[in-house]
Amino acid sequence: MTNYGLVIDQERCIGCQACAVSCKQENNVPMGQFWNRVLTEGGDKIDTPSGGYPEDGGSGSLDMQYQPTACQHCENAPCVKVCPVNATYTRDDGIVEIDYDKCIGCRYCMAACPYNARVFNWDEPEHMPEEGTGDVAARPQGVVEKCTFCSHRVDEGLDPACVVNCPADARIFGDLDDESSTVSKYINEYETDQLLEDRGTNPKTHYISGEMSPGRPQTSDKLESELDDVSPWSDGTEDVPSEASGSDSSDSGGGHHSIEGDAVPHVPAVGSGGDD
Amino acid sequence: MNNPQQPRLTPIDEWEDEATAMLDGVEYDTELGLRMARDAIRVSNGELSDAEFHEKYHDEVLAEFGEDERPTKPEGFDDD
Ligand code: SF4
Ligand code: SF4
Repeated sequence: MTNYGLVIDQERCIGCQACAVSCKQENNVPMGQFWNRVLTEGGDKIDTPSGGYPEDGGSGSLDMQYQPTACQHCENAPCVKVCPVNATYTRDDGIVEIDYDKCIGCRYCMAACPYNARVFNWDEPEHMPEEGTGDVAARPQGVVEKCTFCSHRVDEGLDPACVVNCPADARIFGDLDDESSTVSKYINEYETDQLLEDRGTNPKTHYISGEMSPGRPQTSDKLESELDDVSPWSDGTEDVPSEASGSDSSDSGGGHHSIEGDAVPHVPAVGSGGDD
Repeated sequence: MNNPQQPRLTPIDEWEDEATAMLDGVEYDTELGLRMARDAIRVSNGELSDAEFHEKYHDEVLAEFGEDERPTKPEGFDDD
């Protein structure tokens, strides 16, 4: 069964906010709201480091790390368990989604989410431009909304917008139940963490720290599973760490595949604004 | 609610204050929401089963919302 998940390589993340901005654009997220933020670990405010500037030739102690954070699509999602009307639910492919027609705005899910991943439309949502952006219909006042792993794109065989638009190739999306997927390989190979593991929510977002992975070079905005054999990062040649290269990757035919046809580097073909 | 750093990670000892603030002014029972949120994490942790959670809150959820469509309902659970 498909079980979608996301790997974020924090060693690759450069804190550019491209994922946050493309999420907002793609998902028509109202003014003042964010589904996806890149938090700064370090100073007190966004993009401020902790520590001090080197003085008198000293080494200094400035330190700053980035923590991209959105809905973690928890396997044991507390938000799903408390929703009295089943507006928040888990799809068969593991994506936690909200049926906005059912949501009554009780905000119990917000209280139950340990990641503060949900936002509430207190007022009539405002969009810029007014007709909205991206490919998702606006949500009304009085409902809760959040990241969907861009399920509308995933359903079309496309990677989430944040993944495709990450210039550092730090975001890798794929099927956690498929052992040969890049997300599965990276989780096996690298040191990964889930956020707030003590809550037992078992998030489907995993963070790499310590050693930098090869990331997910964007040869196309298609899901890995949709790429047939055009998958230079996952066939165990040079870019995937040791175990994969030594293994009997019978599917590896072709080695370095040429990128052809509809492969689009980095920038996805996003429809023009407003049409939903 | 629109703190520019949101979403963020809430240390567990600050969670209760944040959850209370989120539920402030809601048209439904704030205290029920808080208790359910706390126990939902216990379900995730494995301290409480889905069925126990469902039964514990079924009557109150029904009284507050007029329905109880939570996916935690055990098989054969009598809805009335
Ligand atoms: S991160 Fe929060 S909103 Fe997302 S599935 Fe987990 S509990 Fe639900
Ligand atoms: S997958 Fe899309 S909706 Fe989800 S956090 Fe990333 S950009 Fe936002």
